[in-house]
Amino acid sequence: MNFFEANVSRLALSDSALAAAIRQSGGGTLEILPARTGMPSARANGRWIHSAYDPIKEAQAWAESQSYQDGETLIVFGMGLLYHVEALCARLPRAAPVVLVVSDLSIIADAAAARTWGDWIERVSWAWGTTAAISEQIAAAGHPLRLVTYAPAAALHADDHRAIEMALQRRVSAQASGQLRIAVVGPIYGGSLPITRYAVSALESLGHDVRWLDHSIHATSYHQLELLKNSQHRLALQSKYAEMLSRITMAQLAEDPPDLVLSLAQAPLILPALEHLRRKRFLTAIWFVENYRHLTYWQQLAAGYDFWFVIQQEPCIAALKQAGAKEVRYLPMAADLSVHRPLELTQTEREEYGSDVSFVGAGYANRREIFPRLLGHDWTFKLWGNEWDGATELTSVLQRNGARIDTDTCQKVFNASAVNLNLHSWAGTGLDPDGDFVNPRTFELAACGAFQLTDRRSLMADLFTEREVATVSSSDELPAKIARWLREPAQRVAMAAQARQRVLAEHTYAHRMRELLSQIGVASSDRIGAILRGARQAEALAATATDSFPSLASTLRTFPSTQRVELKQLAAQIRSRGPMGTLSREDLMVLMLDEYRSETKDLV
Amino acid sequence: MIQLARLGDLVQSLPAFASLTVRHPHRSLDLLCPAPLADLARLFPEVGHILKWNGAQWHAWAESFVGEFQSSWLREVEQYLAELTTEPYTMAYVLNHHPRAILLATLLATEVQGPNLRGPLDEELSPWASYLRHVAQTRGSNRIHLSDTFCGLCGVTPPPVPPVLRLPSIDLPGDLAEVGISAGQWIAVVVGAGDADRSIPVSVWIEWISTVLAHESPCAVVLIGAERDQTTALAIQDGLSPMIAGRLWDATGRTTLPQLATVLKRCHWAVGADTGPLHLAAAVGASAMGFYFSRARVHETGPYGQGHWVWQADRAQPEAWPIQASVKMIRESATAPQQEPVAGWSLWQSHHDEWGAIFRPVGDKDLHEDQRAAVWRQLSEQRLSLQGVQ
Repeated sequence: MNFFEANVSRLALSDSALAAAIRQSGGGTLEILPARTGMPSARANGRWIHSAYDPIKEAQAWAESQSYQDGETLIVFGMGLLYHVEALCARLPRAAPVVLVVSDLSIIADAAAARTWGDWIERVSWAWGTTAAISEQIAAAGHPLRLVTYAPAAALHADDHRAIEMALQRRVSAQASGQLRIAVVGPIYGGSLPITRYAVSALESLGHDVRWLDHSIHATSYHQLELLKNSQHRLALQSKYAEMLSRITMAQLAEDPPDLVLSLAQAPLILPALEHLRRKRFLTAIWFVENYRHLTYWQQLAAGYDFWFVIQQEPCIAALKQAGAKEVRYLPMAADLSVHRPLELTQTEREEYGSDVSFVGAGYANRREIFPRLLGHDWTFKLWGNEWDGATELTSVLQRNGARIDTDTCQKVFNASAVNLNLHSWAGTGLDPDGDFVNPRTFELAACGAFQLTDRRSLMADLFTEREVATVSSSDELPAKIARWLREPAQRVAMAAQARQRVLAEHTYAHRMRELLSQIGVASSDRIGAILRGARQAEALAATATDSFPSLASTLRTFPSTQRVELKQLAAQIRSRGPMGTLSREDLMVLMLDEYRSETKDLV
Repeated sequence: MIQLARLGDLVQSLPAFASLTVRHPHRSLDLLCPAPLADLARLFPEVGHILKWNGAQWHAWAESFVGEFQSSWLREVEQYLAELTTEPYTMAYVLNHHPRAILLATLLATEVQGPNLRGPLDEELSPWASYLRHVAQTRGSNRIHLSDTFCGLCGVTPPPVPPVLRLPSIDLPGDLAEVGISAGQWIAVVVGAGDADRSIPVSVWIEWISTVLAHESPCAVVLIGAERDQTTALAIQDGLSPMIAGRLWDATGRTTLPQLATVLKRCHWAVGADTGPLHLAAAVGASAMGFYFSRARVHETGPYGQGHWVWQADRAQPEAWPIQASVKMIRESATAPQQEPVAGWSLWQSHHDEWGAIFRPVGDKDLHEDQRAAVWRQLSEQRLSLQGVQ
């Protein structure tokens, strides 16, 4: 019997359907070549899947680098000749479940024909079929999951794997019932400050216990430093100030350690602080709601956060990974429906805030260059916002002498304007030729049910269609487009309504935060994932303790069944029995652990 | 016996340990202490097993457990405790007023004697623990030595003779093997202290050592300390005259605890501010002389036994140091009892009697009445009353 028959027959004992499918598929995807050691190695599309020298040693090194905790199910992405799966099984405890994702039957057929499979085959289960079927099989394999990727082989099916991962995230999101304790670290000031507020509100609306470490209270002091004329002093003191705020943040985190530290862009957490948090097993994430090309401080922080969420895709994601970030995910901006909403305006308000064409925002170079071209037409144009000093041509349309516009006013302008211009900022002239991310204003206008005319962005198509948001490709065509849309009020209303529906369905901050937590939940299955699944709730904990620690289980049952219980609460519950309370051996051990827990506050 | 604190407290537990072994000659007495002190604990006379307490492991558990609780952790804890003992002890004597020591005792033994009157959740203190708390709060002129209060906590009286550690023959590294061999006085100088504000300045040590070595009769100095004290030791040596060559040994950071005990035993004197090594010196039979300032108090942590000396500063950070006077006491010991007063310092000498150790002032009349007998009687009566003994 050849390798193929022997291997597939053995596989048939555990998964006959898969064995049949492999027989039917045939092989031919992998090019099998001997490695220097004589063992078969493989190439696909001209690239080596395994070492050309020693595939076994390479697989062992890969397996050694993988983490595993008791009780986890390992999901392996990447097939090839399965040396890595064999090495992984050899390293793991015998009871550790391993699920191999089969994205391409022909590769398994090639693997089966190349060499004899060892006993490890009896330990592995196979998830195969459509993306949905694979996700279903993985989900049924048991929790918590740990996803491991053998990159050289997984690269062949990167899109499939991403789809499976997303399906798992959706599943985590749908199952999420547990309450996380999240510390949100906001900036001192700037554009990410309101985003922080929206994120906090969204996380609270999802039922999580959120603590906002609000550094905007330090803004006045920080701005005082900007008044220093000596730039050397100013920069040195600003740096020291940020360092001090970083320490304050650490002290706050130490007092009540959260499950997740979520920073927004510009949060004053410096790299040494982030590294210290990692040493203390804090999980950190940042939503970098900035254009990575303009603000480049991410280069210094990349390695500090466990998770990066960015509003741009490639090459932003690759750049962050190059700088040391381990996990980088795309997470676009959104709207907060409690703030960004349709308004019933009075006639007076319509007169004050309304116009045919409006723009709200700061005076960036491209806007200063484009907007004068919108003057002298048969429409009314109002320009709102600050930092327009020196733009004398626009004085006639600039409202409130260029004062900063608050959020309420902004919503009124959005609601009162026929055509809201939404030109993304850029330091050049015309429209940004490399414009990719979609700014918050796009979502906010859509959430208001306001019509907008936006410059074309490469990431727009995934977020809004042309029937929801009107776009313009060059500054030259802007006047004509405005004129066109002003002539079509009914279509404007219809588009604006559809855009709002899209926001309601997909683009609120609650959607984004759920997505963010789901992604972290899948990647950190044993911690965040477990909490989201409710595995840290009293009832679930009591169930796992019943057999081995009955007294503990009975204490756990004194909590409301869905209450999340940590060591701290459990110890407090035991102490609450009072001086004469009876203590079991398990109670004593819990109290002992808690004694040491209460002393681990040396973060600062 | 459970002693989870540092070196000095472990050595100060020796009298209580000795009294307990005399009280219960037919029962084995094991000693649980921090793992780094285990080798020293083995030198306790009549000691049974030494149980090493791995505090670092518990801290690591605690850190990894932050924010979550899984009952499976308890299996690891259970396994750890089982490695300490499979059968519960009949009695655990707890010498630390710390919840973890009391919890541990309750986990390991069926009966616990120590600071808490009842169980770990009961904050009511035993008479001796109440007395210690009162002394700590009022910083009063407590004349009952900490070692003797440990005896009280364990329900025994102080040993009639100060006990000493049982030192087997222990090899010393390199040139330290020469310590104590040649004739003359050997003086161990404890250069550091646990906290910076309790350290004697390098310049003071340079002057002190220069003075002691300038004396006519043969004399040698051994610098004592941990690895962290090596920089201080080097600074001291840099400041000394090259003429002292061959009369100074640097043992800082070079010895295990049993080796340190051996070095101290080979010295006639141990001098310094770090109470841990001074207690150890006293426990191996050397004479100890302490310079106590900052938070160090002669009556609480003076070297235990007979004939030790403590210079107690009037203020937390002394302005001047009794260098000449202290050197003279060591080099001309017969003059010690007639020591003239030194501004800013009082001098105390240790004595030992049926109530344990006591320090009495030299020169001045002792203004405080010795209340030890009354305190012992009162606390013992309270203790018996609580035990229901009429």
